[in-house]
Amino acid sequence: MKKTAIWIIGLLVAFLGVFTVSAEEATLTLDDIVQKTNLAAYYGGEDGRSEVNMTITDGQGRTRTREFVILRKDVEDGGRQKFYVYFKKPSDVRKMVFMVHKYIEKDDDRWLYLPALDLVKRIAGSDKRTSFVGSHFLYEDVSGRSPTEDEHELVETTDTMYVMKNTPKDPDSVEFSSFTMWIDKKTFIPVKIEYLDKRGKKYRLVEALKTEMVQGIPTVTQSRAQDLLSGGKTVSEFSNVKYDIGLKDSIFTERYLRKAPKAVRN
Amino acid sequence: MKMGNRLIQFSTEWPKLITGVMVIVTLILATMMVRVQVDTDPENMLAESEAVRVFHNQTKRMFTLHDVVVVGIVNETHPDGVFNPTTLGYVHELTQFAMNLADDKNPEKRVVARDVIAPGTVDAIEQAGPGQVRFEWLMRKPPETRAEALKVRDRAIANPLLKGTMVSENGKALAIYLPITAKDFAYSLRRQLLKKIAGFTGDDRFYITGLPVAEDTFGVEMLTQMAISAPLAMMAIFLLMLFFFKKVKMIISPLIIAMVTVIWTMGLLIGFGNTLHIMSSMIPIFLMPIAVVDSVHILSEFFDNYQKIRSRRKTLKKVMGHLFVPMLYTSLTSSAGFASLALTPIPPVRTFGIFVAIGIMLAWLLTIVFIPAYIMLLKEESLATFGVIKSGNDGSKNKTLLSRILGWLGRITYTQSKLIVLFTILMIGISALGISKIEINDNPVKWFKKNHAIRVADRVLNEHFSGTYEAYLVLEAETVAFELPDAVNAVKEALAQAIGNEAPVYNEAIGLVKSVSSTSGSAEDFINLLSDEFELKMDAAPDEEYDMWADGLDVMDSIRNRGQIFKRPDLLRYIASLQEHLVQTGTAGKSNSVADVVKKIYQELFEANPEYFRIPDTVNGVAQSLMAYQNSHKPDDLWHLVTPDYAKANLWVQLKSGDNKDMEATISVVDAFIKENPPPVPLIHRWAGLTYINVVWQNKMVMGMLKSFLSSFVVVFVLMVILFRSPLWGLLAMVPLSVTVAFIYGIIGIIGKDYDMPVAILSSLTLGLSIDFAIHFLERSRQEHTRIGSWREAAKEMFEEPARAISRNVVIIAVGFTPLLLAPLVPYQTVGIFLASIMVVSGIGTMIILPVLIKGAERVLFQNK
Repeated sequence: MKKTAIWIIGLLVAFLGVFTVSAEEATLTLDDIVQKTNLAAYYGGEDGRSEVNMTITDGQGRTRTREFVILRKDVEDGGRQKFYVYFKKPSDVRKMVFMVHKYIEKDDDRWLYLPALDLVKRIAGSDKRTSFVGSHFLYEDVSGRSPTEDEHELVETTDTMYVMKNTPKDPDSVEFSSFTMWIDKKTFIPVKIEYLDKRGKKYRLVEALKTEMVQGIPTVTQSRAQDLLSGGKTVSEFSNVKYDIGLKDSIFTERYLRKAPKAVRN
Repeated sequence: MKMGNRLIQFSTEWPKLITGVMVIVTLILATMMVRVQVDTDPENMLAESEAVRVFHNQTKRMFTLHDVVVVGIVNETHPDGVFNPTTLGYVHELTQFAMNLADDKNPEKRVVARDVIAPGTVDAIEQAGPGQVRFEWLMRKPPETRAEALKVRDRAIANPLLKGTMVSENGKALAIYLPITAKDFAYSLRRQLLKKIAGFTGDDRFYITGLPVAEDTFGVEMLTQMAISAPLAMMAIFLLMLFFFKKVKMIISPLIIAMVTVIWTMGLLIGFGNTLHIMSSMIPIFLMPIAVVDSVHILSEFFDNYQKIRSRRKTLKKVMGHLFVPMLYTSLTSSAGFASLALTPIPPVRTFGIFVAIGIMLAWLLTIVFIPAYIMLLKEESLATFGVIKSGNDGSKNKTLLSRILGWLGRITYTQSKLIVLFTILMIGISALGISKIEINDNPVKWFKKNHAIRVADRVLNEHFSGTYEAYLVLEAETVAFELPDAVNAVKEALAQAIGNEAPVYNEAIGLVKSVSSTSGSAEDFINLLSDEFELKMDAAPDEEYDMWADGLDVMDSIRNRGQIFKRPDLLRYIASLQEHLVQTGTAGKSNSVADVVKKIYQELFEANPEYFRIPDTVNGVAQSLMAYQNSHKPDDLWHLVTPDYAKANLWVQLKSGDNKDMEATISVVDAFIKENPPPVPLIHRWAGLTYINVVWQNKMVMGMLKSFLSSFVVVFVLMVILFRSPLWGLLAMVPLSVTVAFIYGIIGIIGKDYDMPVAILSSLTLGLSIDFAIHFLERSRQEHTRIGSWREAAKEMFEEPARAISRNVVIIAVGFTPLLLAPLVPYQTVGIFLASIMVVSGIGTMIILPVLIKGAERVLFQNK
């Protein structure tokens, strides 16, 4: 997720050096910002692992939790990626696996492994704006929305933020009319994303609540998605984040759905 | 009597003062009426603190349920029914339009867009090629081709949660469910929808129904109706009085009394901070006849006497001398009849009873104070012809007709007394039979006439769908004690099964159980501490032992989550069998539960194979199916059917009728099922939902009414004994009343009219009105008998003036309220018919039964005189 995200900035800093950054920033085009943000948010390191503690709170304050491990491996920066989500809790869904092969040019491949039913199921991926395991995060928040799907517009540049408005090219394919991102100038982490509904009313908010440096990569360690209409929200906490751990490609195959790889352990 | 005389003397001497005071008080109280707060919610028939309402509200919150307005779209002409691109286009447009609707004045009253059920807002779980499922909006945008439209239909019908609920099985009809945040938004919502629908063309029929619409619309129409019927009734009474008494100036006075009484009473009601409820809105209708009755007695006698005496003051003195006591007692008894409603457990009925009781006494006071004052204010000359028509030309036919009939009636009561007794007994017998057939039932939708748009919508939609009335059956486990030893045993048992006592870590694990149990204070403590220990072990474990410790942790978790009973396959199957039973017994059209969701998703996970339309075999199987379901657009839909902790389940029952008797039948079917088929764990089952609430307040009301009726019967009897200073006379006075009540309720039973809210309320009116004639009749009979000495002669007198007064009253009230029959609201019609029947039956009953009984018991009745 976002936490896995942000190391592009780190890489940039490392390669370009502190001095060139300000010069770079000055000449950034809108397209540059879009790309850097995408990379910062979803492509930190070559691969990564994180443990996620998700607390879903509904409008009445009732909570449910999920605990899972996310493994991610990039095929190419800003392009194809693979995710492996292994559930630990609630205990009755332990060993459930959600696996994604993300593509840019076509629909993602998604698999669900349900151990209690001994069933591997593919989930057709045409619509990414469905809930991620009942939380207020959408599948698209987890795997990333391709920048090519929206028109981008830099609305404002403050001392610390780029404010970018994104309007879908195919409005019928999504439930929002537009969303606005507040992007940290230094890290390119989107710290706040506001969604407007078809009537132009704000109804959804996704925020990075905490960002830490992990192995030199700015990493979101706490994020929150809010449903402003129902008052429900989901907070995700990321712990034990590690980058560049050398995940094998074979992990992200159907074979490993039934038998979880060691990497899901500490 | 003395006090009465002084009162009348005072008012005949100070007519202007009295009139002035009355006008001022009326104006003051009229200003109070401006502050009126209308409350049309039948839910308020129960106090807010009433357990059933508290639970209903809890249930709504717990499962995020709202009151629902149902919009039905029916197309009978298109071969594909509503599933053609044009109609679906309208459906889409209407859904989008409806989702954004809110009350102009209070935007908090709105449609809950998130929970709207419509083709564009529900998810379809479906097969997307071999081994694949897809979560997709059923109809993201309106289809453009026939094939696409039919696909929407097929996918909807394939979903058991939608079939019969959102889509009719024959494909002719679709329903949009619009949840609303406040019931009193339903009327305005309906109007906005109708306006939008008016812009659509084609063969599609649109219907709007649901209890909130019926209830809210009734509230609005009720107020309009009150504003129309009350003046209409007044006008009719005016015309009838004009017919009887000819003199406009004279007959205006009863109307003034009626109006002032209504204004005072309503002013007081509102001034004391009461809301105007369905019940209290009927107060004017109830007060008017009662207020008019006394004045008509006075006018009738004044009319008959004035030409003989030729002095206002003297005539008044004589008339009031006759009437003061009977009027006081008729008012007291009527008042007592209504005041007894204060004993019912229903707040609006209590308010209604108390204020009608107050109104009746106000009417009495106004009558005896104002009528004489009013007559005194008229110039003696203007009365010159009052009562003259008695012997005049145009009135003579009238007079002779009424007098002739009454004279004949008088003779019959004397000559044919045995026949009358026989007839009366026969009637009572038939009435008893009728009463035994009375069916207690109510349904707010049936408060509208059969051809009212809401009734039509209700009928049509319930033909196409499995029911537009909702009731919620909430299931939860009875709490069972779970102490430390229970926990230890449960853990040991489960560990042996999960890890196996052969496993290398088993002994280690059991060791931990023993050491932790000795240091824990409670079961909860024990489980938590043990989990911590296991987690440490797991983290440190070599790969081959890792899973075993993890399994051990699962054991702890499952014990910790033992309250999540609605993931258990046995319980889900139990719910499913209850649902099946409900549909088989035919009381419910359909029901929806978490079991249906599980079955549907399980089936889709297995290639939509019908054999998999069942509950998976393990808790984890259920949990994982539900986790898969939650990857949809609206995962929260699940929480309408089960709480997120899986401790409570909601069975959403769809009933095809809002009749209380049908809801009651469903309740007993469920009770019997649970009794005969004990659930796998002891369950508490409780109902919520508007349809159920209506049953509860109806039952409270019926029992309350019965109690209050019986108590007022006793009170009236005691008053009669006091009035006549004789238990025998008191008993006599109760006879016509009892016959009237028996007869009227007998008729209700025979014609099959449901005993509903208005009928229940009217029992007090029956009591109050029908005792009146008996009091007047008996009081006068005693006076005449004392004067004349023999009943044979006295009876003749009785069928002159007194009988005429009674007859005029009967006609004026009975006919005066016929405008109510034109009302589009059934309760108003009921009141109209009832008033007429009460007047006719009790009038005739009084005039034929009492003389016969007096004749038969003449010696006993008059022995001391």
